[in-house]
Amino acid sequence: MQSSENGAKRRQRFDQYVAVYHQDMYRYAAWLCRDKAIAEDVVQEALLRAWKSLDALRDEASAKQWLLTIVRRENARYFERKRLETVDIDNLTASQAALLAEQPDDELDNMRAAIYELEDDYREPLVLQVLMGYSTQEIADQMGLKQGAVLTRLHRARLQLKDRMARL
Amino acid sequence: MNCEQYRESIAADPSFDGGAGHLAQCADCQAYRSEMQALDLQIKSALVLDVPELRVPDLPEIQADNVVSLNSKRFSPPAWFAMAATIVVAALIGVRLAGTDITQDTLGEEILAHLDHERFSLRVTDVAVSDDRLNAVVPKDVARMDHSAGLITYAQSCPIRGHDVPHLVIQGEHGPVTILLMPEESVSGPESIRGENIKGVILPVGNGSIAIVGESDERLDRIQERVLESVTWST
Repeated sequence: MQSSENGAKRRQRFDQYVAVYHQDMYRYAAWLCRDKAIAEDVVQEALLRAWKSLDALRDEASAKQWLLTIVRRENARYFERKRLETVDIDNLTASQAALLAEQPDDELDNMRAAIYELEDDYREPLVLQVLMGYSTQEIADQMGLKQGAVLTRLHRARLQLKDRMARL
Repeated sequence: MNCEQYRESIAADPSFDGGAGHLAQCADCQAYRSEMQALDLQIKSALVLDVPELRVPDLPEIQADNVVSLNSKRFSPPAWFAMAATIVVAALIGVRLAGTDITQDTLGEEILAHLDHERFSLRVTDVAVSDDRLNAVVPKDVARMDHSAGLITYAQSCPIRGHDVPHLVIQGEHGPVTILLMPEESVSGPESIRGENIKGVILPVGNGSIAIVGESDERLDRIQERVLESVTWST
């Protein structure tokens, strides 16, 4: 009885995290892998892994960071398993193209394409900062970088986006 | 701090608030800062992708996965034992799911019936309810709610399953969106609600739950995020 109660509480705790952070997990995954279908797979794997290791999460306040770290690792695992070819933005699969054209808005689509074309090293810290609200120190911790390196990447990422948008 | 240093800092983080002395004296850097902040708004809009409906994978029974035997000899059950155990576990899961369904339908149906009863709450308007009204309907000993969820245009205390709960309406992109704060109504996981031309979700929050219901084409994920951030149970 006690065990079943604990199981129910555990499931409830898990569901709460999923309800609150599922969107962040998906968007982070989508911008890491730049493919909506793969992002869904990555999130599924990440949820499974989170469920199995939920007891390792002691600090509720760090749940978001914990889940995003799992997404990051699952994304890396996915690409270890399936080494995909380099993406050519003029020759995307339907699932990749779907990421770029969600709403009929030219300016938004252009910005999305510009972000899509950023190097992974620049795109990821930008997503963490702008979308996830991470500080540069938190990004550094997440990516295993020094804070100075994060600042440089963010600076360059924005300059590249500014430049690409100006050229359109 | 000179222009180059300031611009590097602001491009790395447009919310950078250092260098106030330099900024006050440099019109070019003021313009650069505004440009970077505008760019960031564009970046943020572009990064917000539509999120597909949540699919939680089949989750394994965690006790079985986590058991670590301290005995050197492991018990190897015969095949019939494993098969029997599988049937028992499947039956238990079936019973549990059946029980959950009953609970989901009852709460979801009650919410839909209530919305049908209070159709007048679903007005498209830009007139917000007063703070006094909101505080009366959402007493501080029940929950704390700030205005970040959206423009609250209706607030009423309504009976759901024998409890008076705050019934709020905010204006979504495609019409009014209903929010029911139910601190005493626990659900085991997110539950979908579907009615005629409307859809919604009941989310577990702490020991209670929050229902969010809008038009079928409403982007509830965005509203859901804002609502969850804006509400804190007091109990």
